[in-house]
Amino acid sequence: MTYVPPEILQPIHDLVHRSCLYMNDESWKDYLALCDPQSFRYRVTNYSPEIRREQCWADRDFKAMKAAFDIMPRHNSDRSKLTRQVSIYTVDYDAEACEANVVSALTVYRTQLDGSMSYIESGQTALYAVGLYRDRIKLTDDEARLLERTVQLDTRQLDVGTHKPF
Amino acid sequence: MACIPVAKPAPPKASPSPETTGRTGKQWTLKPKLPDSHVVNTRIYTDPSIFEEELEKIWSRVWLPVCHESELPERLDFRTTGLAGNKPIVVVRGEDNRIRAFLNICPHRNNLIVRSPAGSLRKPEPSGNANHMTCMYHGWQFDTTGQCVEIPRPASYGERVCKEGVGLRQLRTEVAYGGMVWVNLDDDCGPLADFVGGALDPMLEQLETEPLEIFHYQKGIVRTNYKLFFDTSREFYHDYLHFHNRQTSMVKPGYFDQQYTTHPNGHSVTGFTTVDYSSHSDSGTRLLTFPGLPRNGWRHTTLFPASAYNIRTSCLRVNVMIPLSDRETLVEIRGLGLKRDTPGEREQRVKDYVSVWGPFGWNLHEDLLCAQVQTQAIKQGSGATWNLMAREEGNKVHDEVCVRSYYAEWARLMGRNPADPQ
Repeated sequence: MTYVPPEILQPIHDLVHRSCLYMNDESWKDYLALCDPQSFRYRVTNYSPEIRREQCWADRDFKAMKAAFDIMPRHNSDRSKLTRQVSIYTVDYDAEACEANVVSALTVYRTQLDGSMSYIESGQTALYAVGLYRDRIKLTDDEARLLERTVQLDTRQLDVGTHKPF
Repeated sequence: MACIPVAKPAPPKASPSPETTGRTGKQWTLKPKLPDSHVVNTRIYTDPSIFEEELEKIWSRVWLPVCHESELPERLDFRTTGLAGNKPIVVVRGEDNRIRAFLNICPHRNNLIVRSPAGSLRKPEPSGNANHMTCMYHGWQFDTTGQCVEIPRPASYGERVCKEGVGLRQLRTEVAYGGMVWVNLDDDCGPLADFVGGALDPMLEQLETEPLEIFHYQKGIVRTNYKLFFDTSREFYHDYLHFHNRQTSMVKPGYFDQQYTTHPNGHSVTGFTTVDYSSHSDSGTRLLTFPGLPRNGWRHTTLFPASAYNIRTSCLRVNVMIPLSDRETLVEIRGLGLKRDTPGEREQRVKDYVSVWGPFGWNLHEDLLCAQVQTQAIKQGSGATWNLMAREEGNKVHDEVCVRSYYAEWARLMGRNPADPQ
Protein backbone atom coordinates (compact mmCIF):
# COMPACT_ATOMS: atom_id res chain seq x y z
CA MET A 1 0.00 0.00 0.00
CA THR A 2 1.45 3.34 -0.99
CA TYR A 3 0.73 6.76 0.38
CA VAL A 4 -1.74 8.72 -1.71
CA PRO A 5 -1.48 12.45 -1.16
CA PRO A 6 -4.58 14.52 -0.37
CA GLU A 7 -4.46 16.39 -3.68
CA ILE A 8 -4.95 13.03 -5.42
CA LEU A 9 -7.43 11.63 -2.92
CA GLN A 10 -9.70 14.64 -2.90
CA PRO A 11 -10.82 14.54 -6.55
CA ILE A 12 -11.22 10.77 -6.33
CA HIS A 13 -13.45 11.01 -3.28
CA ASP A 14 -15.33 13.84 -4.92
CA LEU A 15 -15.92 11.81 -8.09
CA VAL A 16 -17.19 8.72 -6.29
CA HIS A 17 -19.54 10.69 -4.10
CA ARG A 18 -20.80 12.89 -6.91
CA SER A 19 -21.52 9.82 -9.02
CA CYS A 20 -23.89 8.66 -6.29
CA LEU A 21 -25.50 12.04 -5.83
CA TYR A 22 -26.18 12.36 -9.55
CA MET A 23 -27.58 8.86 -9.76
CA ASN A 24 -29.73 9.43 -6.70
CA ASP A 25 -31.11 12.54 -8.37
CA GLU A 26 -31.43 10.67 -11.67
CA SER A 27 -29.30 13.37 -13.21
CA TRP A 28 -28.04 10.94 -15.79
CA LYS A 29 -26.43 13.61 -17.93
CA ASP A 30 -24.36 14.81 -14.98
CA TYR A 31 -23.44 11.23 -14.17
CA LEU A 32 -22.25 10.61 -17.71
CA ALA A 33 -20.18 13.77 -17.52
CA LEU A 34 -18.11 12.01 -14.86
CA CYS A 35 -17.40 9.09 -17.21
CA ASP A 36 -14.79 8.85 -19.93
CA PRO A 37 -16.69 8.63 -23.24
CA GLN A 38 -14.00 6.56 -24.93
CA SER A 39 -13.36 3.84 -22.40
CA PHE A 40 -16.13 3.85 -19.81
CA ARG A 41 -17.54 0.44 -19.04
CA TYR A 42 -20.25 -0.20 -16.49
CA ARG A 43 -20.94 -3.69 -15.23
CA VAL A 44 -23.01 -5.30 -12.50
CA THR A 45 -21.63 -8.62 -11.35
CA ASN A 46 -22.01 -11.09 -8.55
CA TYR A 47 -20.93 -14.54 -7.56
CA SER A 48 -23.79 -16.97 -7.56
CA PRO A 49 -23.35 -19.83 -5.09
CA GLU A 50 -26.34 -21.44 -6.80
CA ILE A 51 -24.52 -21.95 -10.09
CA ARG A 52 -21.07 -21.57 -8.57
CA ARG A 53 -19.81 -18.99 -11.00
CA GLU A 54 -19.38 -15.28 -11.48
CA GLN A 55 -22.20 -13.79 -13.44
CA CYS A 56 -22.92 -10.50 -15.07
CA TRP A 57 -26.25 -8.70 -14.77
CA ALA A 58 -25.44 -5.56 -16.76
CA ASP A 59 -22.69 -4.66 -19.19
CA ARG A 60 -22.68 -1.32 -21.02
CA ASP A 61 -20.16 1.05 -22.51
CA PHE A 62 -20.61 4.82 -22.52
CA LYS A 63 -22.73 4.84 -25.64
CA ALA A 64 -25.01 2.09 -24.36
CA MET A 65 -25.33 3.83 -20.98
CA LYS A 66 -26.40 7.01 -22.71
CA ALA A 67 -28.85 5.11 -24.87
CA ALA A 68 -30.27 3.41 -21.78
CA PHE A 69 -30.73 6.71 -19.97
CA ASP A 70 -32.34 8.26 -23.04
CA ILE A 71 -34.94 5.54 -23.46
CA MET A 72 -35.58 4.80 -19.80
CA PRO A 73 -38.62 7.12 -19.61
CA ARG A 74 -40.25 5.16 -22.42
CA HIS A 75 -40.23 1.99 -20.33
CA ASN A 76 -42.58 1.02 -17.54
CA SER A 77 -40.37 1.07 -14.50
CA ASP A 78 -40.66 0.93 -10.77
CA ARG A 79 -40.06 4.63 -10.24
CA SER A 80 -39.22 4.27 -6.57
CA LYS A 81 -36.23 6.37 -5.59
CA LEU A 82 -32.92 4.59 -5.09
CA THR A 83 -30.44 6.10 -2.67
CA ARG A 84 -26.82 5.04 -2.96
CA GLN A 85 -24.59 5.31 0.08
CA VAL A 86 -20.85 4.76 -0.35
CA SER A 87 -17.94 4.46 1.97
CA ILE A 88 -14.56 4.46 0.30
CA TYR A 89 -12.44 1.58 1.54
CA THR A 90 -9.22 1.81 -0.46
CA VAL A 91 -7.54 3.95 -3.09
CA ASP A 92 -4.56 2.49 -4.94
CA TYR A 93 -2.91 5.06 -7.14
CA ASP A 94 -0.59 4.41 -10.08
CA ALA A 95 1.27 7.71 -10.49
CA GLU A 96 2.81 6.69 -13.78
CA ALA A 97 -0.53 5.93 -15.42
CA CYS A 98 -2.37 8.61 -13.42
CA GLU A 99 -4.99 6.00 -12.63
CA ALA A 100 -6.53 4.90 -9.36
CA ASN A 101 -8.31 1.72 -8.42
CA VAL A 102 -10.91 2.53 -5.82
CA VAL A 103 -12.95 0.10 -3.79
CA SER A 104 -16.01 1.41 -1.96
CA ALA A 105 -18.75 -0.19 0.07
CA LEU A 106 -22.12 0.36 -1.55
CA THR A 107 -25.51 0.34 0.09
CA VAL A 108 -28.67 0.99 -1.89
CA TYR A 109 -31.94 1.90 -0.24
CA ARG A 110 -35.28 2.00 -1.99
CA THR A 111 -38.00 4.42 -1.07
CA GLN A 112 -41.26 3.14 -2.46
CA LEU A 113 -43.22 5.17 -4.92
CA ASP A 114 -45.20 3.11 -7.41
CA GLY A 115 -43.67 -0.36 -7.51
CA SER A 116 -46.50 -1.78 -5.47
CA MET A 117 -49.73 -0.39 -4.07
CA SER A 118 -48.65 3.22 -3.76
CA TYR A 119 -51.45 4.40 -1.50
CA ILE A 120 -50.18 1.97 1.12
CA GLU A 121 -46.45 1.67 0.53
CA SER A 122 -45.21 4.91 -1.02
CA GLY A 123 -42.76 6.56 1.29
CA GLN A 124 -41.50 3.37 2.88
CA THR A 125 -37.73 2.96 2.78
CA ALA A 126 -35.96 -0.37 2.94
CA LEU A 127 -32.50 -1.71 2.28
CA TYR A 128 -32.41 -2.86 -1.34
CA ALA A 129 -28.88 -4.03 -2.10
CA VAL A 130 -25.35 -4.15 -0.77
CA GLY A 131 -22.06 -4.68 -2.52
CA LEU A 132 -18.96 -2.89 -3.70
CA TYR A 133 -18.06 -0.31 -6.27
CA ARG A 134 -14.83 -1.26 -7.99
CA ASP A 135 -13.84 1.86 -9.89
CA ARG A 136 -10.97 2.65 -12.17
CA ILE A 137 -10.45 6.38 -12.29
CA LYS A 138 -8.24 8.51 -14.51
CA LEU A 139 -6.82 11.72 -13.15
CA THR A 140 -5.63 14.59 -15.27
CA ASP A 141 -4.49 18.03 -14.17
CA ASP A 142 -7.97 19.38 -13.90
CA GLU A 143 -10.36 16.50 -13.57
CA ALA A 144 -11.07 12.92 -12.57
CA ARG A 145 -13.03 10.58 -14.85
CA LEU A 146 -14.51 7.15 -14.41
CA LEU A 147 -12.96 4.65 -16.80
CA GLU A 148 -14.70 1.62 -15.36
CA ARG A 149 -17.26 0.93 -12.70
CA THR A 150 -18.06 -2.61 -11.64
CA VAL A 151 -20.89 -2.93 -9.16
CA GLN A 152 -20.07 -6.16 -7.40
CA LEU A 153 -23.23 -7.17 -5.61
CA ASP A 154 -23.62 -9.34 -2.57
CA THR A 155 -27.38 -9.04 -2.88
CA ARG A 156 -28.75 -11.50 -5.39
CA GLN A 157 -32.45 -11.03 -4.91
CA LEU A 158 -33.63 -7.68 -6.22
CA ASP A 159 -37.36 -8.14 -5.90
CA VAL A 160 -38.85 -7.30 -9.30
CA GLY A 161 -35.58 -5.79 -10.51
CA THR A 162 -34.99 -2.27 -11.73
CA HIS A 163 -34.15 -0.30 -14.84
CA LYS A 164 -31.98 2.08 -12.87
CA PRO A 165 -28.28 1.33 -12.55
CA PHE A 166 -26.73 1.39 -9.10
CA MET B 1 -70.44 -12.91 -30.01
CA ALA B 2 -72.38 -10.23 -28.17
CA CYS B 3 -70.52 -7.26 -26.87
CA ILE B 4 -69.93 -7.44 -23.17
CA PRO B 5 -71.29 -4.84 -20.82
CA VAL B 6 -67.97 -4.13 -19.18
CA ALA B 7 -66.61 -2.48 -22.30
CA LYS B 8 -69.42 -0.01 -22.79
CA PRO B 9 -72.09 -0.30 -20.14
CA ALA B 10 -75.71 0.35 -20.90
CA PRO B 11 -76.99 3.36 -18.99
CA PRO B 12 -78.41 2.31 -15.65
CA LYS B 13 -82.14 2.48 -15.34
CA ALA B 14 -81.90 4.55 -12.21
CA SER B 15 -78.63 6.36 -11.90
CA PRO B 16 -77.64 6.73 -8.22
CA SER B 17 -76.38 10.19 -8.89
CA PRO B 18 -76.33 12.51 -11.85
CA GLU B 19 -72.54 12.64 -11.49
CA THR B 20 -72.07 8.89 -11.99
CA THR B 21 -70.45 8.39 -15.37
CA GLY B 22 -68.68 5.10 -14.72
CA ARG B 23 -70.32 1.86 -13.74
CA THR B 24 -72.25 1.42 -10.54
CA GLY B 25 -71.18 -1.08 -7.93
CA LYS B 26 -73.76 -3.53 -9.18
CA GLN B 27 -72.64 -3.19 -12.78
CA TRP B 28 -69.01 -3.52 -11.76
CA THR B 29 -69.48 -6.82 -9.97
CA LEU B 30 -71.89 -8.32 -12.50
CA LYS B 31 -70.42 -11.29 -14.28
CA PRO B 32 -69.63 -10.25 -17.84
CA LYS B 33 -71.84 -11.78 -20.48
CA LEU B 34 -69.12 -14.01 -21.77
CA PRO B 35 -68.73 -17.74 -22.05
CA ASP B 36 -67.17 -19.16 -18.91
CA SER B 37 -64.08 -19.98 -20.96
CA HIS B 38 -63.50 -16.26 -21.58
CA VAL B 39 -63.54 -14.93 -18.03
CA VAL B 40 -61.84 -15.82 -14.78
CA ASN B 41 -63.06 -15.00 -11.31
CA THR B 42 -60.18 -13.41 -9.42
CA ARG B 43 -60.92 -15.59 -6.43
CA ILE B 44 -58.72 -18.27 -7.97
CA TYR B 45 -55.77 -15.95 -7.33
CA THR B 46 -56.63 -14.97 -3.79
CA ASP B 47 -58.35 -17.83 -2.00
CA PRO B 48 -55.88 -19.72 0.22
CA SER B 49 -58.07 -22.83 0.16
CA ILE B 50 -57.91 -22.92 -3.64
CA PHE B 51 -54.15 -22.54 -3.41
CA GLU B 52 -53.93 -25.50 -1.03
CA GLU B 53 -56.01 -27.51 -3.47
CA GLU B 54 -53.72 -26.51 -6.33
CA LEU B 55 -50.74 -27.91 -4.43
CA GLU B 56 -52.42 -31.29 -4.27
CA LYS B 57 -54.17 -31.47 -7.61
CA ILE B 58 -51.63 -29.68 -9.82
CA TRP B 59 -48.24 -29.17 -8.24
CA SER B 60 -47.92 -32.67 -6.84
CA ARG B 61 -48.52 -34.19 -10.26
CA VAL B 62 -46.60 -32.22 -12.87
CA TRP B 63 -43.05 -32.33 -14.21
CA LEU B 64 -40.98 -29.25 -13.43
CA PRO B 65 -37.47 -28.26 -14.57
CA VAL B 66 -35.65 -27.60 -11.30
CA CYS B 67 -32.08 -26.98 -12.46
CA HIS B 68 -29.70 -27.54 -15.36
CA GLU B 69 -27.26 -30.41 -15.57
CA SER B 70 -24.38 -27.92 -15.88
CA GLU B 71 -25.13 -26.79 -12.33
CA LEU B 72 -23.81 -30.15 -11.17
CA PRO B 73 -21.18 -30.99 -13.78
CA GLU B 74 -19.04 -33.41 -11.72
CA ARG B 75 -19.82 -36.66 -9.97
CA LEU B 76 -20.92 -35.97 -6.37
CA ASP B 77 -22.02 -32.42 -7.19
CA PHE B 78 -25.32 -31.36 -5.72
CA ARG B 79 -27.86 -28.58 -6.08
CA THR B 80 -30.60 -27.78 -3.60
CA THR B 81 -33.87 -26.18 -4.54
CA GLY B 82 -37.53 -26.63 -3.75
CA LEU B 83 -40.97 -27.40 -5.02
CA ALA B 84 -44.36 -25.96 -4.29
CA GLY B 85 -45.77 -26.78 -0.90
CA ASN B 86 -42.57 -26.00 1.00
CA LYS B 87 -40.78 -29.08 -0.27
CA PRO B 88 -37.00 -28.73 -0.15
CA ILE B 89 -35.23 -31.02 -2.59
CA VAL B 90 -31.65 -31.96 -3.32
CA VAL B 91 -30.45 -32.95 -6.77
CA VAL B 92 -27.29 -35.05 -6.79
CA ARG B 93 -25.04 -36.42 -9.49
CA GLY B 94 -24.08 -39.86 -8.28
CA GLU B 95 -20.79 -41.68 -8.48
CA ASP B 96 -22.41 -43.54 -11.37
CA ASN B 97 -22.90 -40.13 -13.10
CA ARG B 98 -26.65 -40.45 -12.83
CA ILE B 99 -28.64 -37.47 -11.59
CA ARG B 100 -31.21 -38.20 -8.90
CA ALA B 101 -33.44 -35.99 -6.78
CA PHE B 102 -34.62 -36.47 -3.23
CA LEU B 103 -36.70 -34.71 -0.67
CA ASN B 104 -34.01 -32.88 1.31
CA ILE B 105 -35.31 -33.97 4.70
CA CYS B 106 -33.71 -36.36 7.12
CA PRO B 107 -36.01 -39.27 7.97
CA HIS B 108 -34.80 -39.23 11.57
CA ARG B 109 -36.00 -35.88 12.97
CA ASN B 110 -36.86 -34.12 9.71
CA ASN B 111 -33.95 -31.72 9.71
CA LEU B 112 -32.78 -30.24 6.43
CA ILE B 113 -29.90 -32.40 5.23
CA VAL B 114 -28.00 -30.45 2.57
CA ARG B 115 -28.00 -26.75 3.37
CA SER B 116 -25.85 -25.08 0.70
CA PRO B 117 -27.41 -23.96 -2.59
CA ALA B 118 -24.83 -26.04 -4.47
CA GLY B 119 -21.51 -27.77 -3.98
CA SER B 120 -19.67 -31.04 -4.00
CA LEU B 121 -20.09 -33.91 -1.60
CA ARG B 122 -16.39 -34.60 -1.99
CA LYS B 123 -15.90 -32.00 0.71
CA PRO B 124 -17.12 -33.52 3.95
CA GLU B 125 -19.43 -31.66 6.29
CA PRO B 126 -17.95 -30.94 9.74
CA SER B 127 -19.72 -33.95 11.24
CA GLY B 128 -19.86 -36.27 8.25
CA ASN B 129 -17.82 -38.18 5.73
CA ALA B 130 -16.92 -37.16 2.22
CA ASN B 131 -19.16 -38.47 -0.59
CA HIS B 132 -22.20 -38.57 1.67
CA MET B 133 -25.08 -36.23 2.42
CA THR B 134 -24.88 -35.74 6.15
CA CYS B 135 -27.57 -34.43 8.44
CA MET B 136 -25.68 -32.22 10.85
CA TYR B 137 -28.16 -32.78 13.67
CA HIS B 138 -27.35 -36.39 14.60
CA GLY B 139 -24.91 -37.36 11.88
CA TRP B 140 -27.11 -39.66 9.82
CA GLN B 141 -25.53 -40.05 6.41
CA PHE B 142 -26.90 -40.92 2.99
CA ASP B 143 -25.20 -41.84 -0.26
CA THR B 144 -26.03 -40.43 -3.67
CA THR B 145 -28.57 -43.16 -4.32
CA GLY B 146 -30.53 -42.11 -1.25
CA GLN B 147 -29.55 -45.07 0.89
CA CYS B 148 -28.86 -44.45 4.55
CA VAL B 149 -25.26 -45.52 5.06
CA GLU B 150 -24.49 -44.31 8.56
CA ILE B 151 -26.42 -44.08 11.80
CA PRO B 152 -24.20 -43.19 14.75
CA ARG B 153 -24.41 -45.77 17.55
CA PRO B 154 -27.09 -47.83 15.84
CA ALA B 155 -27.17 -50.56 18.47
CA SER B 156 -29.56 -48.63 20.68
CA TYR B 157 -32.19 -48.84 17.98
CA GLY B 158 -32.09 -52.61 18.18
CA GLU B 159 -34.27 -53.95 15.42
CA ARG B 160 -36.69 -51.04 15.66
CA VAL B 161 -34.79 -48.85 13.19
CA CYS B 162 -32.28 -50.03 10.62
CA LYS B 163 -30.45 -48.28 7.78
CA GLU B 164 -32.31 -50.26 5.16
CA GLY B 165 -35.63 -48.79 6.25
CA VAL B 166 -34.70 -45.13 6.48
CA GLY B 167 -33.55 -44.11 3.01
CA LEU B 168 -34.41 -40.77 1.47
CA ARG B 169 -37.66 -40.04 -0.32
CA GLN B 170 -36.66 -40.21 -3.99
CA LEU B 171 -38.43 -38.21 -6.69
CA ARG B 172 -39.03 -39.17 -10.27
CA THR B 173 -36.24 -37.49 -12.22
CA GLU B 174 -35.33 -37.12 -15.87
CA VAL B 175 -32.72 -35.03 -17.67
CA ALA B 176 -34.02 -33.79 -21.00
CA TYR B 177 -34.89 -30.91 -23.31
CA GLY B 178 -31.58 -29.10 -23.31
CA GLY B 179 -30.18 -30.76 -20.21
CA MET B 180 -32.74 -29.51 -17.74
CA VAL B 181 -33.29 -31.70 -14.70
CA TRP B 182 -36.99 -32.41 -14.36
CA VAL B 183 -38.67 -33.82 -11.28
CA ASN B 184 -42.14 -34.98 -10.43
CA LEU B 185 -43.54 -35.58 -6.95
CA ASP B 186 -45.94 -38.19 -8.25
CA ASP B 187 -44.41 -41.67 -7.99
CA ASP B 188 -46.95 -42.94 -10.48
CA CYS B 189 -46.60 -40.20 -13.08
CA GLY B 190 -46.05 -40.99 -16.74
CA PRO B 191 -42.76 -40.26 -18.50
CA LEU B 192 -41.71 -36.65 -19.01
CA ALA B 193 -42.06 -37.02 -22.79
CA ASP B 194 -45.74 -37.84 -22.36
CA PHE B 195 -46.21 -34.73 -20.24
CA VAL B 196 -44.40 -32.38 -22.63
CA GLY B 197 -45.88 -33.98 -25.72
CA GLY B 198 -44.89 -32.01 -28.81
CA ALA B 199 -44.67 -28.63 -27.12
CA LEU B 200 -40.89 -28.44 -27.29
CA ASP B 201 -40.54 -30.09 -30.69
CA PRO B 202 -40.16 -26.77 -32.56
CA MET B 203 -36.97 -25.99 -30.62
CA LEU B 204 -35.52 -29.49 -30.28
CA GLU B 205 -32.74 -28.73 -32.75
CA GLN B 206 -31.69 -25.76 -30.63
CA LEU B 207 -31.92 -27.76 -27.41
CA GLU B 208 -30.46 -31.10 -28.39
CA THR B 209 -27.79 -30.57 -31.06
CA GLU B 210 -25.04 -29.89 -28.54
CA PRO B 211 -24.66 -29.45 -24.77
CA LEU B 212 -25.84 -26.24 -23.20
CA GLU B 213 -24.43 -24.46 -20.18
CA ILE B 214 -25.89 -22.07 -17.65
CA PHE B 215 -24.40 -18.58 -17.44
CA HIS B 216 -27.08 -16.64 -15.62
CA TYR B 217 -29.20 -17.38 -12.59
CA GLN B 218 -31.71 -15.09 -10.99
CA LYS B 219 -34.31 -15.68 -8.38
CA GLY B 220 -36.70 -13.48 -6.55
CA ILE B 221 -39.71 -13.69 -4.32
CA VAL B 222 -42.38 -11.78 -6.13
CA ARG B 223 -45.56 -10.77 -4.39
CA THR B 224 -47.81 -12.34 -6.93
CA ASN B 225 -49.93 -15.39 -7.46
CA TYR B 226 -48.01 -17.72 -9.77
CA LYS B 227 -50.77 -17.75 -12.35
CA LEU B 228 -50.64 -13.99 -12.76
CA PHE B 229 -46.93 -13.96 -13.49
CA PHE B 230 -47.34 -16.91 -15.79
CA ASP B 231 -49.91 -14.96 -17.77
CA THR B 232 -47.07 -12.60 -18.74
CA SER B 233 -45.11 -15.56 -20.10
CA ARG B 234 -48.10 -16.94 -21.83
CA GLU B 235 -49.77 -14.09 -23.70
CA PHE B 236 -48.43 -11.42 -26.02
CA TYR B 237 -51.24 -8.92 -26.09
CA HIS B 238 -49.22 -7.44 -23.25
CA ASP B 239 -46.39 -6.60 -25.66
CA TYR B 240 -47.82 -3.11 -25.32
CA LEU B 241 -46.25 -3.14 -21.84
CA HIS B 242 -42.77 -3.43 -23.33
CA PHE B 243 -41.22 -0.54 -25.21
CA HIS B 244 -38.56 -3.05 -26.30
CA ASN B 245 -41.10 -5.34 -27.90
CA ARG B 246 -43.00 -2.51 -29.50
CA GLN B 247 -39.77 -1.33 -31.10
CA THR B 248 -38.26 -4.65 -32.08
CA SER B 249 -41.22 -6.89 -32.79
CA MET B 250 -44.62 -5.29 -33.09
CA VAL B 251 -43.56 -2.93 -35.87
CA LYS B 252 -42.28 -5.81 -37.99
CA PRO B 253 -44.44 -7.11 -40.84
CA GLY B 254 -45.94 -10.43 -39.92
CA TYR B 255 -45.92 -9.86 -36.18
CA PHE B 256 -49.70 -10.10 -35.89
CA ASP B 257 -49.75 -13.24 -38.05
CA GLN B 258 -47.76 -15.38 -35.65
CA GLN B 259 -49.75 -18.48 -34.94
CA TYR B 260 -50.34 -19.54 -31.38
CA THR B 261 -50.68 -23.30 -30.89
CA THR B 262 -52.15 -24.92 -27.83
CA HIS B 263 -50.97 -28.37 -26.86
CA PRO B 264 -52.32 -31.11 -24.64
CA ASN B 265 -51.66 -30.82 -20.89
CA GLY B 266 -51.99 -27.04 -21.04
CA HIS B 267 -48.77 -26.25 -22.91
CA SER B 268 -48.45 -23.70 -25.70
CA VAL B 269 -46.15 -22.71 -28.55
CA THR B 270 -45.84 -19.30 -30.15
CA GLY B 271 -45.03 -19.32 -33.84
CA PHE B 272 -41.48 -18.66 -34.99
CA THR B 273 -40.60 -15.07 -35.72
CA THR B 274 -37.58 -12.83 -36.04
CA VAL B 275 -36.85 -9.76 -33.96
CA ASP B 276 -35.19 -6.54 -35.10
CA TYR B 277 -32.96 -5.77 -32.14
CA SER B 278 -31.30 -2.86 -33.87
CA SER B 279 -34.58 -0.94 -33.54
CA HIS B 280 -33.99 -0.65 -29.80
CA SER B 281 -31.05 1.63 -29.16
CA ASP B 282 -29.81 -0.31 -26.13
CA SER B 283 -30.01 -3.77 -27.66
CA GLY B 284 -27.40 -3.68 -30.40
CA THR B 285 -27.26 -6.34 -33.06
CA ARG B 286 -27.43 -10.03 -32.36
CA LEU B 287 -24.47 -11.83 -33.92
CA LEU B 288 -24.81 -15.27 -32.35
CA THR B 289 -27.53 -17.84 -32.51
CA PHE B 290 -28.39 -21.41 -31.54
CA PRO B 291 -28.04 -24.50 -33.75
CA GLY B 292 -30.56 -24.37 -36.56
CA LEU B 293 -32.00 -21.03 -35.48
CA PRO B 294 -31.84 -18.21 -38.00
CA ARG B 295 -30.17 -15.05 -36.78
CA ASN B 296 -32.59 -12.92 -34.76
CA GLY B 297 -34.91 -15.91 -34.55
CA TRP B 298 -37.24 -16.31 -31.61
CA ARG B 299 -38.97 -19.41 -30.32
CA HIS B 300 -41.15 -19.72 -27.27
CA THR B 301 -42.90 -22.54 -25.43
CA THR B 302 -44.72 -22.46 -22.13
CA LEU B 303 -45.36 -25.56 -20.10
CA PHE B 304 -48.24 -25.84 -17.69
CA PRO B 305 -48.31 -24.86 -14.87
CA ALA B 306 -45.28 -22.63 -14.51
CA SER B 307 -42.25 -23.10 -16.73
CA ALA B 308 -41.22 -21.63 -20.04
CA TYR B 309 -38.49 -21.96 -22.65
CA ASN B 310 -37.69 -18.78 -24.52
CA ILE B 311 -34.93 -18.53 -27.12
CA ARG B 312 -34.06 -15.05 -28.26
CA THR B 313 -31.56 -15.79 -31.02
CA SER B 314 -28.38 -16.05 -28.88
CA CYS B 315 -29.76 -16.93 -25.46
CA LEU B 316 -32.07 -19.48 -23.98
CA ARG B 317 -34.08 -18.49 -20.96
CA VAL B 318 -35.79 -21.16 -18.88
CA ASN B 319 -37.96 -20.03 -16.04
CA VAL B 320 -39.84 -21.93 -13.42
CA MET B 321 -41.92 -20.83 -10.47
CA ILE B 322 -42.23 -22.18 -6.98
CA PRO B 323 -45.44 -20.91 -5.41
CA LEU B 324 -44.90 -20.09 -1.74
CA SER B 325 -48.46 -19.05 -1.01
CA ASP B 326 -51.47 -17.72 -2.89
CA ARG B 327 -49.76 -14.33 -2.97
CA GLU B 328 -46.02 -15.09 -3.04
CA THR B 329 -44.04 -16.83 -5.74
CA LEU B 330 -40.38 -17.70 -5.97
CA VAL B 331 -39.37 -17.11 -9.57
CA GLU B 332 -36.21 -18.80 -10.83
CA ILE B 333 -34.80 -17.77 -14.17
CA ARG B 334 -31.85 -19.31 -15.97
CA GLY B 335 -29.87 -18.09 -18.93
CA LEU B 336 -28.08 -20.65 -21.07
CA GLY B 337 -25.68 -20.68 -23.98
CA LEU B 338 -23.66 -23.31 -25.76
CA LYS B 339 -21.16 -25.19 -23.66
CA ARG B 340 -18.52 -24.82 -26.37
CA ASP B 341 -18.75 -21.02 -26.40
CA THR B 342 -15.44 -19.20 -26.55
CA PRO B 343 -14.99 -16.57 -23.83
CA GLY B 344 -15.80 -13.89 -26.39
CA GLU B 345 -18.95 -15.65 -27.54
CA ARG B 346 -20.08 -16.16 -23.97
CA GLU B 347 -19.53 -12.51 -23.16
CA GLN B 348 -21.64 -11.55 -26.16
CA ARG B 349 -24.44 -13.94 -25.17
CA VAL B 350 -24.43 -12.50 -21.67
CA LYS B 351 -24.66 -8.97 -23.04
CA ASP B 352 -27.54 -9.96 -25.28
CA TYR B 353 -29.30 -11.70 -22.41
CA VAL B 354 -29.02 -8.93 -19.83
CA SER B 355 -30.25 -6.27 -22.20
CA VAL B 356 -33.69 -7.89 -22.16
CA TRP B 357 -33.76 -10.14 -19.11
CA GLY B 358 -32.11 -10.34 -15.71
CA PRO B 359 -32.86 -7.95 -12.82
CA PHE B 360 -31.69 -4.95 -14.88
CA GLY B 361 -33.11 -6.06 -18.25
CA TRP B 362 -35.72 -3.98 -20.00
CA ASN B 363 -38.45 -6.63 -20.28
CA LEU B 364 -38.28 -8.83 -17.23
CA HIS B 365 -38.56 -5.94 -14.81
CA GLU B 366 -41.71 -4.81 -16.57
CA ASP B 367 -43.27 -8.28 -16.45
CA LEU B 368 -42.51 -8.77 -12.77
CA LEU B 369 -43.57 -5.26 -11.88
CA CYS B 370 -46.84 -5.71 -13.70
CA ALA B 371 -47.63 -9.03 -12.03
CA GLN B 372 -46.82 -7.61 -8.62
CA VAL B 373 -48.92 -4.50 -9.03
CA GLN B 374 -51.77 -6.52 -10.52
CA THR B 375 -51.68 -8.84 -7.51
CA GLN B 376 -51.97 -5.87 -5.18
CA ALA B 377 -55.01 -4.69 -7.11
CA ILE B 378 -56.60 -8.14 -7.08
CA LYS B 379 -56.27 -8.67 -3.32
CA GLN B 380 -59.33 -10.07 -1.67
CA GLY B 381 -61.86 -7.36 -1.04
CA SER B 382 -60.32 -4.88 -3.45
CA GLY B 383 -63.29 -5.00 -5.74
CA ALA B 384 -61.44 -6.73 -8.56
CA THR B 385 -63.60 -9.64 -9.62
CA TRP B 386 -63.19 -10.57 -13.27
CA ASN B 387 -60.20 -11.13 -15.53
CA LEU B 388 -61.29 -10.95 -19.16
CA MET B 389 -59.78 -13.28 -21.71
CA ALA B 390 -62.11 -12.65 -24.58
CA ARG B 391 -59.88 -11.67 -27.53
CA GLU B 392 -60.38 -13.93 -30.53
CA GLU B 393 -58.05 -13.51 -33.51
CA GLY B 394 -57.94 -16.94 -35.10
CA ASN B 395 -55.25 -18.15 -32.70
CA LYS B 396 -52.88 -15.39 -33.75
CA VAL B 397 -50.40 -13.87 -31.37
CA HIS B 398 -52.81 -11.52 -29.60
CA ASP B 399 -55.61 -14.05 -29.34
CA GLU B 400 -56.26 -14.67 -25.66
CA VAL B 401 -56.62 -18.34 -26.40
CA CYS B 402 -53.17 -18.47 -24.85
CA VAL B 403 -54.61 -17.80 -21.41
CA ARG B 404 -57.96 -19.48 -22.04
CA SER B 405 -56.18 -22.74 -22.80
CA TYR B 406 -54.15 -22.39 -19.61
CA TYR B 407 -57.24 -21.99 -17.47
CA ALA B 408 -58.94 -24.83 -19.32
CA GLU B 409 -56.19 -27.15 -18.14
CA TRP B 410 -56.41 -25.64 -14.68
CA ALA B 411 -60.13 -26.39 -14.68
CA ARG B 412 -59.55 -29.96 -15.84
CA LEU B 413 -57.09 -30.73 -13.07
CA MET B 414 -58.87 -28.81 -10.34
CA GLY B 415 -62.39 -29.88 -11.21
CA ARG B 416 -63.41 -26.25 -10.81
CA ASN B 417 -64.70 -23.65 -13.20
CA PRO B 418 -62.32 -20.63 -13.16
CA ALA B 419 -65.27 -18.39 -13.96
CA ASP B 420 -67.23 -19.72 -11.02
CA PRO B 421 -64.83 -21.54 -8.71
CA GLN B 422 -67.28 -22.12 -5.85
